[in-house]
Amino acid sequence: MNAVRYIFSTTEAQERKQRMDNKAPFLCGSVIKKLFTLLALLTIATPAWAVAEIQSWQMNNGLRVLLMEAHQVPMVVMRLTLPAGSSMDAPGKGGTATMLAAMLGDHTKIHHHAAWADYLDAQAIRLGSGASRDSMSIGLTVLKEALPQGVGALSEALLQPGWSRKRFKKMRSDAISANKKSLEQPQVQAAIAIGKLLYGDHPYGHRSGGDAASLAAITMRDMKQLYRDQVTPDAAVLAVSGDVTMAELHKLLAPLAAWHGTAKHHLSDISATANPAPIKQHITMATQQATVALVRIGLDRQAPDLFPTLLMNHILGGGGFSSKLMMQVREKRGLVYGVYSYFEPLSRPGPFVISLQTRADQTQQALKVVRQVMARMAAGKINHKAIHAAKANLTGSFTHRLDSNGKRVGLMSMIGYYHLPLDYLQNWRARIEAITLAQVQVSAARYLKASDWSEVIVGPKSVPHQRHISK
Amino acid sequence: MLPRRCGKIFISLFAAFCLLPNVQAGVIQRTTLANGIHLVVEEDHSAPDAIVQVWHQVGGRDEIPGKTGLAHVLEHMSFKGSKKIKPGEYSHRIAAMGGSDNAFTATDYTAYFEIIPAKHVDEAMAMEADRFTHLRLAKKDYVKEIRVIMEERRMRTDDDPNSRMFEELSAVALRLSPYRNPVIGWMQDLKRLKIKDVRAFYKRYYVPGNATIVVVGDVNFAHIKKVAKRTFGRLKKRPVPPRFNPIEPEPIGPKRMVAYLPAQLPMVAVVMPVPVWHPGKNDRQAAALDMATEILAGGRSALLSRQLVDKQRKAFSVSASYDPFSMGVDLWSVWADLGAGQTPDAFTAALWKSLNALRDHGPSTAQLARAKRGIIADEVFAQDSLYLRARQIGSMESVGIDARRRGDWLKAIRMVTPKDIQQVMRRWINPRRATTGTLIPTKNTGGKS
Repeated sequence: MNAVRYIFSTTEAQERKQRMDNKAPFLCGSVIKKLFTLLALLTIATPAWAVAEIQSWQMNNGLRVLLMEAHQVPMVVMRLTLPAGSSMDAPGKGGTATMLAAMLGDHTKIHHHAAWADYLDAQAIRLGSGASRDSMSIGLTVLKEALPQGVGALSEALLQPGWSRKRFKKMRSDAISANKKSLEQPQVQAAIAIGKLLYGDHPYGHRSGGDAASLAAITMRDMKQLYRDQVTPDAAVLAVSGDVTMAELHKLLAPLAAWHGTAKHHLSDISATANPAPIKQHITMATQQATVALVRIGLDRQAPDLFPTLLMNHILGGGGFSSKLMMQVREKRGLVYGVYSYFEPLSRPGPFVISLQTRADQTQQALKVVRQVMARMAAGKINHKAIHAAKANLTGSFTHRLDSNGKRVGLMSMIGYYHLPLDYLQNWRARIEAITLAQVQVSAARYLKASDWSEVIVGPKSVPHQRHISK
Repeated sequence: MLPRRCGKIFISLFAAFCLLPNVQAGVIQRTTLANGIHLVVEEDHSAPDAIVQVWHQVGGRDEIPGKTGLAHVLEHMSFKGSKKIKPGEYSHRIAAMGGSDNAFTATDYTAYFEIIPAKHVDEAMAMEADRFTHLRLAKKDYVKEIRVIMEERRMRTDDDPNSRMFEELSAVALRLSPYRNPVIGWMQDLKRLKIKDVRAFYKRYYVPGNATIVVVGDVNFAHIKKVAKRTFGRLKKRPVPPRFNPIEPEPIGPKRMVAYLPAQLPMVAVVMPVPVWHPGKNDRQAAALDMATEILAGGRSALLSRQLVDKQRKAFSVSASYDPFSMGVDLWSVWADLGAGQTPDAFTAALWKSLNALRDHGPSTAQLARAKRGIIADEVFAQDSLYLRARQIGSMESVGIDARRRGDWLKAIRMVTPKDIQQVMRRWINPRRATTGTLIPTKNTGGKS
């Protein structure tokens, strides 16, 4: 939960776990993590200072290349985004896209697994890959001096898959174990339940990494088919930030000219889903806390009320310590360490989630406070001061949200992949500033109506409701 | 959350300095005010932002038994108002600037920071100076906040079987080092702490001579020095308390512990105390330990993953860590997640075989070169983050290393030979010095009701 500002301490164990995560060769983080990545892409404001221009080039095969130059550190970061997300997984084969991403990064036709690892490490070429609901991505971080080799490695991984059966079997077996291990986290259990509850059998319904049964069902053939159908240049975007120019990219990307094909399925083929009738679900876990999530289906990437809703959510629970949920549930009552809200604007409406953890016997008390905050906002009780504060934070933090190669690549990937205008960043602050109180009230009335939200609780089975202990 | 003491991140500035002169990393500028407070500034004008950090040389290690968690509790209470700032207002004011603020507590230090548009640096420094000595520390705020901290502990440790096992393992492995206690504190201590404990701790440890202000970003050193003088410079000079840093006794034989906890799969961790870096005294040894760890567990070609996961199938993931940048001692660790049919005993036996092979034969030239290249590259990549750069400076200063000596570490890394690695493996990475912890799942977590 890195995206939300908490005061934290680090314990030895946590740190080790964190390092463990950092060392994972592929970007197969928890669902929650991915949601936050997308959230981070969304919560970006526009500049006071001139934003570097996004340069654009379309290759003959259809691949769009977007570049922001930044020459202060001798490094380059790039990310290829492909229409091969987990929403393209065949029914019952959840995790296919994630496994394919892992396979592409693991070895090639030219280099077997160990040789590939030695080759990449010898030049400090950091190649990563993963899949989320809407897309697959292959990322590269490389020193400027090894840029040609780095781009060469990216195109080798992309265009010359090795399809080693031996490696596939091992990787699938390890993925099943890792999948099982991840169920130790209440947040993962909640995320799985949320997906099923909101989307059922819809392509957004399963966890991107799959589950033990669906992973076991994946065959080499499934992966080859996904590769053939969806790993194509026509709908792909390559976002680049760092110490490189477009002229240099023209030469460096020459190997990708040999990449051809047209995607068989498009994001637009995926149907939108109506918000389900609210239900309450409890998942038993032997924990001290209950992990509580209120959920509904939210907005898609092109929603006309995306910006007012961004501001509305910032006030509700997206703005860290300044948010109403944090004030009411943590600061005033000490019920939680963390409470936050986010929505994930995907190609089709993604989840809108409010989440917290609290000692199990305080669950109902915390939920009551959350529902009160929602009800007040839904009833239009939002003042100009709150609007002003949220705008000031979003617009003021713009430059910081653009201040690294990784962040810029994330933003450009979103802009390119979802066909947003290239001056999106330039116009951002103006769009935030233009939001009115009335628009935020309309958004709150539309999305925060209590009767639209389902409830997922992960925690011990039945806990007697104890009295609030205070003072 | 961010790693507390990660060597790989920590050293990221060095390459910029000594190997790649074309990196326009700022020069570290440093001064000490009359009251003893240190100021370290690195200018970077590439974006109109800055980070301000206040580092106190006090952390979990300075707590007495029965009062663990105190440094972290104080950190939380620092957001509950000071002379000029109302409870909770601190973060609101930073947010209104377009900034974000936070804090972290570790065994060796406590740090506060805000990332803000550079034009607000003066105001942020004044706010930090205010809470440096004028915290309210009101009982009515404490009774709520201690509950928040207990929730934090439940979330981070109690409900995470892996964290819980590591917490216990540290306590079993170390005899005297304060690293045997969790920074967040044992729950029974959190329940007994009082606001008067927090006040006493604050008064004793938050003194100018014990703190370092770090500013990195679009700022001017001369100006920051002036601002520091009229804000932090006005704080009264007070005696600096000595730091608790006992010498960890040498282990006299292997130790084992088993944790039975609700979990899905077993986990094994093997840990042992090893020395940290003392600049100018043990450069070769500390650098060799870091390089050995990088060869064993760094990058895609990591030796342990290749042998134990890919070839021998004794685990589905294996990692190792060494932190040369702390006070006194580090708990060198290897840990692994085990899947179906993979047993702790088989893993541990295979692990020692791999470790002993590195000890007996040393790394190949290619392995050594890859590890050096990886460490250097990570240093360049970390240049991309304002936060990491400030954090590197602050953490070095807080464990007693002048940040301007940051080039010496990389020099030491570049000097490491295969023989050095064999020597440190022989001396320190030995089963007789190790504590082995195993997490055994008691029952499956999860399932619908």
